Amino acid sequence: MHITEGFLPPLHAAAWTALALPFVVVSARRVHRLMQDQPQIKLLLAASGAFAFLLSALKLPSVTGSCSHATGTGLGAILFGPSVMALMGTLVLLFQTLLLAHGGITTLGANVFSMAIVGPWIAYAVLRGTQQLGAPLALSVFLAAMLGDWATYLTTAGQLALAFPDPVSGIAGSFIKFASVFAPTQLPLAVIEGLLTVVIVNFLREYSGEELQNLKFPPQALATEGRS
Amino acid sequence: MRAIDHYAWTNRWRNRHPVEKLLPAFSLLLLTLLLPPLTTGPLVVLLTALATVQGAGVPLHAFWTVMAVPAAFLLAGAPFLAVSVSFIGGVNLHISPDGAWLALETTVRALAAVSCLAFLTLTTPLVDWAPLLRRMGTPASLVELILLMYRLIFVFAERALTGYQAQAARLGYARFDRSLHSTGLLAGNLFQRGLDRARRLEIGLAARGYTGELRVLTPERSLSWPRLAAAMALVSCVGLLGLLAHEAP
Repeated sequence: MHITEGFLPPLHAAAWTALALPFVVVSARRVHRLMQDQPQIKLLLAASGAFAFLLSALKLPSVTGSCSHATGTGLGAILFGPSVMALMGTLVLLFQTLLLAHGGITTLGANVFSMAIVGPWIAYAVLRGTQQLGAPLALSVFLAAMLGDWATYLTTAGQLALAFPDPVSGIAGSFIKFASVFAPTQLPLAVIEGLLTVVIVNFLREYSGEELQNLKFPPQALATEGRS
Repeated sequence: MRAIDHYAWTNRWRNRHPVEKLLPAFSLLLLTLLLPPLTTGPLVVLLTALATVQGAGVPLHAFWTVMAVPAAFLLAGAPFLAVSVSFIGGVNLHISPDGAWLALETTVRALAAVSCLAFLTLTTPLVDWAPLLRRMGTPASLVELILLMYRLIFVFAERALTGYQAQAARLGYARFDRSLHSTGLLAGNLFQRGLDRARRLEIGLAARGYTGELRVLTPERSLSWPRLAAAMALVSCVGLLGLLAHEAP
């Protein structure tokens, strides 16, 4: 869920950018170091970034009939971990802005915060948490992707609510308003993306065990049972 | 995506120094955000449309196409800014004049900002941003990552389209559950092939002495100060006009 260019008041846009910046800088440092240690990682990351961009451009089968697309947030967090995702997500959002005019430059900070920081961290936490509780991997992946999406969507609703508080019921009322406006598309969309992520992860585990092993930073859950 | 990229590479201003386009566009974007939107906004849309169509020679319909998606989103979302809810004694919905005003201002401001973005994306290919990012202190390796991503996006897009057509021809999208399955397989396949492709690229580069830096030639383009000054003057005029029109009764 991208906030369109110019939609946020300047102060809010600046504040979200300032809030997102440290995460992205830390992530960039980490990726920079990774790339210096192993130059081949650069190509791997570039391929994954291009993939994430395309995934977001693939239209999802949608129940509500609205034009909806996957975020890839959950998948990225599962495959690469949230600290790398902050930078990768930022780059993907930048590409969406400059190649599709989707999102915006001034609202980049706010979008990065919801889609490249909050979403991946929640997805990752859910994956880790449910795995430790001994849930089957498919369930963990489904929940991680779905809840990551929901977290993103609630964050966006929160950002809009802070920017446009309701004159009568204030920020809380405005939050409920925005959250319920987007609920009909976002709630089912997240379920679909959860299912989709399970299909993708199953496919990768079945046919690309070697590639998963070669990702130098996979979570434990995925680094097993390659059958390729 | 292809259309935007196509015009970015073929428009009349393609070979102008990027700063001549980026600096005025960013200044205009800033003015759009800061100045009263109802008077500045329409002027900004007018100026960017003129610059894109008359200046850079991009067809008008391309400009509208880029604007259309965000515009639809805005028009769908704006009414909700005008409506206010309260929860005292059940859910009540009101339309307040203040809210309607805010919705109008926000929509106009966002549309004007999107038009700046449309101008930028239609006249400046992504590659031209690279020197600017370097100047802003982005490490060379990250800029290179961006350029590699840019290249791979188009490689993968072709593959995704082929895969989609093959699946669709085999009724892979005939039913909802089939579409879900097919989309998952397509995405998984794309990822697998992407990694494979990256690995082969890496082996090929290593064989050519790759140590973590791809050196490319940036075409020398001289920055034309008169053109930049003229553009900035135009931008200032728009800002001033927007302010004056707002002050006028």
